Amino acid sequence: MKEVLFYLFAGLLLLFSILTVSSRKILRAAVFLLFSLVLTAALYFLWDYLFMASVQLMLYAGGIMVLIVFSVLLTHNIDHKFDPMEFKKIIFSALLSLVGAVTVIYVILSHPFKTSALAAAPISPEDIGRGFLSYGENGYILPFEVISILLLAAMIGAIVIAKKTTK
Amino acid sequence: MNIISQVTDSAPKYIIYDFGILTSRIHEWLSSMMNTTWTSVVEMVLIGVVFLSFYALVGLILVYAERKVCAFIQCRLGPMRVGPWGIFQTIADFIKLLMKELLITRNADKFLFNVAPFIVIIASFLAIGTIPFAKGIQALDFNVGVLYLMSVSSLGVLGILLAGWASNNKYSLIGAMRSGAQIVSYELSVGLALMVVVIFAGSMQFSEIVQSQATGWWIWKGHIPVIIAFVIFMIASTAETNRGPFDLAEAESELTAGFHTEYSGIKFAFFFLAEYMNMFIIASIAATVFFGGWMPLHFGNFAAFNHAMDYIPPFVWFFSKTMFVIFLMMWFKWTFPRLRIDQLLTLEWKYLLPINLVNVVLAAFIVLMGWYLI
Amino acid sequence: MNLQTFLLMRHEIILMIIILVMLAAEIFSDDKKNTYNLSIISIILFAIHTIIGYLPGEQGTLFGKMYINSELTVQMKNILNIGVLIVLLQASQWLRKPENEGKTTEFSLLIYSTLLGMYFMISSGNFLMLFIGLETATIPVATLAAYDKYRNQSSEAGIKLLLSSALSSGILLFGLSMIYAVAGTFYFEQISSNLATMSHTPALLALGMIFFIAGMAFKISLVPFHLWTADVYEGAPVPVTSYLSVVSKGASVFIFTIVLYTVFKSMLVLWTDAVIGIAVATMIIGNLFALRQKNMKRFLAFSSIAQAGFILLGTVAGSQFGMSTVLYFVLIYIFSNLAAFGVVSIISYSTGKESMNDYKGLYNTNPKLSLIMMLALFSLAGIPPVAGFFGKFFLFMASAEQGYYYFVLIAVLNTIISLYYYLLPVKAMFIDTNETPIEPLKSELLPKIALVLCVVGLLVIGFASPVFEYLKEISFGI
Repeated sequence: MKEVLFYLFAGLLLLFSILTVSSRKILRAAVFLLFSLVLTAALYFLWDYLFMASVQLMLYAGGIMVLIVFSVLLTHNIDHKFDPMEFKKIIFSALLSLVGAVTVIYVILSHPFKTSALAAAPISPEDIGRGFLSYGENGYILPFEVISILLLAAMIGAIVIAKKTTK
Repeated sequence: MNIISQVTDSAPKYIIYDFGILTSRIHEWLSSMMNTTWTSVVEMVLIGVVFLSFYALVGLILVYAERKVCAFIQCRLGPMRVGPWGIFQTIADFIKLLMKELLITRNADKFLFNVAPFIVIIASFLAIGTIPFAKGIQALDFNVGVLYLMSVSSLGVLGILLAGWASNNKYSLIGAMRSGAQIVSYELSVGLALMVVVIFAGSMQFSEIVQSQATGWWIWKGHIPVIIAFVIFMIASTAETNRGPFDLAEAESELTAGFHTEYSGIKFAFFFLAEYMNMFIIASIAATVFFGGWMPLHFGNFAAFNHAMDYIPPFVWFFSKTMFVIFLMMWFKWTFPRLRIDQLLTLEWKYLLPINLVNVVLAAFIVLMGWYLI
Repeated sequence: MNLQTFLLMRHEIILMIIILVMLAAEIFSDDKKNTYNLSIISIILFAIHTIIGYLPGEQGTLFGKMYINSELTVQMKNILNIGVLIVLLQASQWLRKPENEGKTTEFSLLIYSTLLGMYFMISSGNFLMLFIGLETATIPVATLAAYDKYRNQSSEAGIKLLLSSALSSGILLFGLSMIYAVAGTFYFEQISSNLATMSHTPALLALGMIFFIAGMAFKISLVPFHLWTADVYEGAPVPVTSYLSVVSKGASVFIFTIVLYTVFKSMLVLWTDAVIGIAVATMIIGNLFALRQKNMKRFLAFSSIAQAGFILLGTVAGSQFGMSTVLYFVLIYIFSNLAAFGVVSIISYSTGKESMNDYKGLYNTNPKLSLIMMLALFSLAGIPPVAGFFGKFFLFMASAEQGYYYFVLIAVLNTIISLYYYLLPVKAMFIDTNETPIEPLKSELLPKIALVLCVVGLLVIGFASPVFEYLKEISFGI
């Protein structure tokens, strides 16, 4: 059952990812991206990784995708289409990405991964919360706090770019 | 099948009805007939069918209820012709919608135009599974339930945005943009208001949140912070469902019908249904989180009264609480005038959000000090 | 964990306090005159912070070795501080221009935030912190590059920087995920100890390391990942360009070297080949493109690409000497490049001229500026009396010591090519005549201080051997 669902989700994920980069209409590309993000969340659900799945849905599908779609709505016209790529470029980039993909996939598949002795159990939100707030080994309070500086700086930057200036 | 459980040491006394027994019996019965894969397939189909029919039923009831409440507030009678007191009116409307022609504007993006209603309705479908209707009747009982609910309910806005864009109509687009701005901002307040109760209950799992209210509902156990959270939750969730007085996205006086102007027939019905389902979901979350969900009403040490209350089935409690919240939301809609978009955003970013943040800190402090009823 | 241990993070904490104080001050003052005073205050605060950085302090690790504080990281931060201080001084004139009204304090806020990101990046003992620090050091810079938002070029620079850094972050993350898959941890120390126990290097790890190198190469703008550099440097406002080409680059080089020396020390043979290849390509391509540039900012951009190639000479060495030469060279590079950018920015603000032809006859009208420019270019080229010579010389020595003779030979040949184009502006300023030369300029006090600092640095650091001795003492090799 899980295998069937996994291959279904993974296949769809691959399909939508390819559609995302090959679509010539920008909003359709965005929608395909949405589908692939939701399918990624579905994979997490399949592995009982509920917290990550919810965060994936909330941040990417519900947050970032809304922003992307919003900005597309503000800037583009419905008739707008990207120019088709030159045939030479298509061939070249297809070959290049194929070589890259084959190399990476081959290396990953040939790596002897060790199986973990731990049983796969759902991680409780309490553990995740403690992990975020602990400051010892394998505690994540420092990155957690530094990200807030990153967000503050990004917010200041965004306001600077967006705000009206006398000109 | 005996749905009245044996009272064991682990199960608290007041829970008389345990539907977990019913569902586990069904599971055993199915497992005895087929292997695990097919069991889960059949169970999924069963749950899907149950939810679908429930969905349709709730939609019909709510549309009827809304028209009656609206009529009551406006001193009218509302639908009276089809059936006694017009109770078959919505069914007739539904048949009419089914038979209507599906129109598409010429330059619309057909793919997105058709996908949009499904995104909206799937988002509300994903959310409804987490609601505990009674002990044992809950499709998805995740340990991150509240987070999951917030995440899937944030998906619906994408359908609205896409619908507005794909219609290739200025009213639709403006409606969609308004709705997008509105939902993205008010989502924060909904999440933070729920967070207050999560702090009190110490869990994000809905079944545990309900269980923690066995001795009293959070709305009075948690006093000040929870009451503030409830008020904010009601305002923000009304806005999140695009209902009046926050229905700028479909302000009929200026935008015809907003994002679903170009939709007709069953596709329009999808948006319509999703709106009512979202209202139902929001109301049931409010009922679950603030009013104890399916927990019966108990007063301190009145043992006889409490015991009598226990005999009222949990889903009756659940639905009556939910209906109360739904009635509140309908009351809002037909009482308050519509806000302007700038007032709407000011309300969220300058008032609700700061109050909410302070409230979360207050709640954490109160929990830390133990200043709440247990 | 107690209060004492927080003193280990004094750089970060003081800078964070400065950021918050400036932010609050900016929010609660809306008077136009105040904003200028605020930028002066912010520079003074930062100068104090720079000085405090030199006070001796303890070493140690915090947060379960996620944060490492050693004399080396402290000195790296101090070197960056000097660069930022000079950039801020130079920017003060530009910030007073009318179009920057209402966003003067934000400039220093963004600079400080990125610097804070660099601090955390340099001090990281964990790939997660490295990544977050790197992002904090990059994303706000994109908004800085788009600061002149009414100039299309500036907006273009911002979006180009953002997109290319997003791509490189993606590559870096992919590499990190592979490293995690093999080592099972993100802590530098544990990864290197896990690797030491392996009999041979797994291919997946090697691939991860290559992705890591590629991701970092984007940030340091090494060939073939340099394509964003010229456009961004040209489009961004001059102070931002100088910040990008000096401080950002320096910080990335530091952590790149540290990671190669600690995490991947057992894979020395693998990464030296990769880094040598990149370095050779970087030097050659940077030089060839710099030869053809007529715009001074583009010229300096390509020259900074070539300089990054030279820095890798020290990294490749893999020895204590090698790391100290990297530090030393970056210190000198800060002074020389910022001096050049300082002159370019003064001329650009006052006259708007950025082409090399406009610099003809500059010596007749602005002798001081021309002399400073000449010193800076000599230092970049590596001509003996100025500090740049010593920097390059030590880099060559470090590499030759390890037996990379051909590599050093290529580098020397490239230095000779670079001499040609570094002398072009000098020729323009001193020898060529111009009918309409740039008028005599009077610059403000703060940019003057910046230039004086640069010149002092250029002249003194080359001869002050204790500086290099100290840097060598605190460095480490494989």
